[in-house]
Amino acid sequence: MTHEQTAQKPSDPLALRQGNGSNPVKGYEPLEGGCNLPNLIGALLKKPLAIIHDLEAQKNPGKIITCLILISVACLSAFGFVVGTFSWNAQLWAAPLKIVLGLFFSGLICLPSLYIFSCLGGVHARFQTIAGLLCSLVALSGLLFIGFTPVVWLFSVSSTSVSFLGVLLILLWGICVVFGCVLALRAGRALGMTNPIHIILWCLVFLIVTLQMTTTLRPIVGADAKLFHFEEKKFFLRHWGEQVMHDLRPGTFNRDPSN
Amino acid sequence: MVNHSTRMRGSASFFQNAGALCRGDKRLLTFWIREGRRDSIPVCMVLITLGCGIYGSVIGFRQGPEMACYVALKLPAIIFLTLCVNGLLNGLLGLVLGSEIGLRQSLRFLLTGYAIMSVILGALSPVILFLNLNMPGPSADGALVGHAATLLLHTAVIALAGILAHIRLLSCVREFAATRRAGTHTFMAWLLGNLFVGAQISWNLRPFFVSPGLDVEFLRPDPFNGNFYEAAFRAMQNLSFF
Repeated sequence: MTHEQTAQKPSDPLALRQGNGSNPVKGYEPLEGGCNLPNLIGALLKKPLAIIHDLEAQKNPGKIITCLILISVACLSAFGFVVGTFSWNAQLWAAPLKIVLGLFFSGLICLPSLYIFSCLGGVHARFQTIAGLLCSLVALSGLLFIGFTPVVWLFSVSSTSVSFLGVLLILLWGICVVFGCVLALRAGRALGMTNPIHIILWCLVFLIVTLQMTTTLRPIVGADAKLFHFEEKKFFLRHWGEQVMHDLRPGTFNRDPSN
Repeated sequence: MVNHSTRMRGSASFFQNAGALCRGDKRLLTFWIREGRRDSIPVCMVLITLGCGIYGSVIGFRQGPEMACYVALKLPAIIFLTLCVNGLLNGLLGLVLGSEIGLRQSLRFLLTGYAIMSVILGALSPVILFLNLNMPGPSADGALVGHAATLLLHTAVIALAGILAHIRLLSCVREFAATRRAGTHTFMAWLLGNLFVGAQISWNLRPFFVSPGLDVEFLRPDPFNGNFYEAAFRAMQNLSFF
């Protein structure tokens, strides 16, 4: 790359921070309408890169991150409540609590790796921006989960199989994570990413961590005498395999996984 | 041209709207979707209720007038319930996939698509009724064959109407979306979601065809016990695949 080309590199975030560069990534522009909850919800759906822009430009980063966390907690709690209606009783409060805490713990343990992998991919961004990116990813997934809530409710009241609902929820989570990962890649590109493979790898790591969390915090779907099974350690593939094989036996469709 | 446009915008009759919908008249759709005409929703709802209601009565007629009335109510209900369950999701998907089609516009698009499908189904109803009348009744010899043939016939007709309507809808969504690619993605996401949920709602609202030996009733005693996909899996288990 010649000196001239380097100087003209349009997505150099250092230049952007100093205000002497124009970013070619569509949507990477100041957030319009101020930093409030309704505006951030709209921005997450329509122009998520505007949130990343304001985070990187240090325009109310603390308030933006707080709002994103609030959106995530509200959406995931509502979604968790609907998941809990499959078994009712204690699961009505346990499922939302496990989903919210599980996702936030997953985010927390994946945040350092997101920062390092972003740096490896050529992203020049503050740690705060990367933390905001992760919060945006979770909040966007939460918003999509709210869209899926009526679908989950329909299957929650109709299904008799724990495995069916479990597989459905994991599929929906996969869809939400894909949208979140697309956001992470777009944000990476806006922040000067040179190689997307590192962020793609991180997305896989995040997905695996959240999937393992479903097993660590089991049971999230279905009733059980115990609220947690921390003493029995299992890899998520083994746990799901056992559960699905149990339900595959004829006449075993029911809402109680302990039967 | 001016007269035609004014007439369409002003006091177009249901028949004019139905014809314009089937032609995929872009002026009508622009008027409905871009300008957010409120009367588009009642027009589509009436077309869906009439078209699907008439076709539903043809489906149920084989089991007698009681079942004809039940299915005439339940077939439009599947569409409305599917849109209720998926409405928010469709709007969110439209925005997230970059088509810039929001909640209200997605609802108008899908209602328009289903209205086209309903008009096609309503128009085919007399032909299907004639074919139904020529098949063995539920208490006649060969009732099982008649039931299977009716099931296949209705599935084919509904699939044909759905495909024709959705092809028309796809071109409209592509035109209205921010980019053609985003429009295609949004449309596919809507289609998948509606098929997935629609199958379950139709299962909850069963029976429609009433298998030989079963009673005619509005809903089965256990409409929420199990789901469509579990039932399909059990059917495969019974065929000894698993």
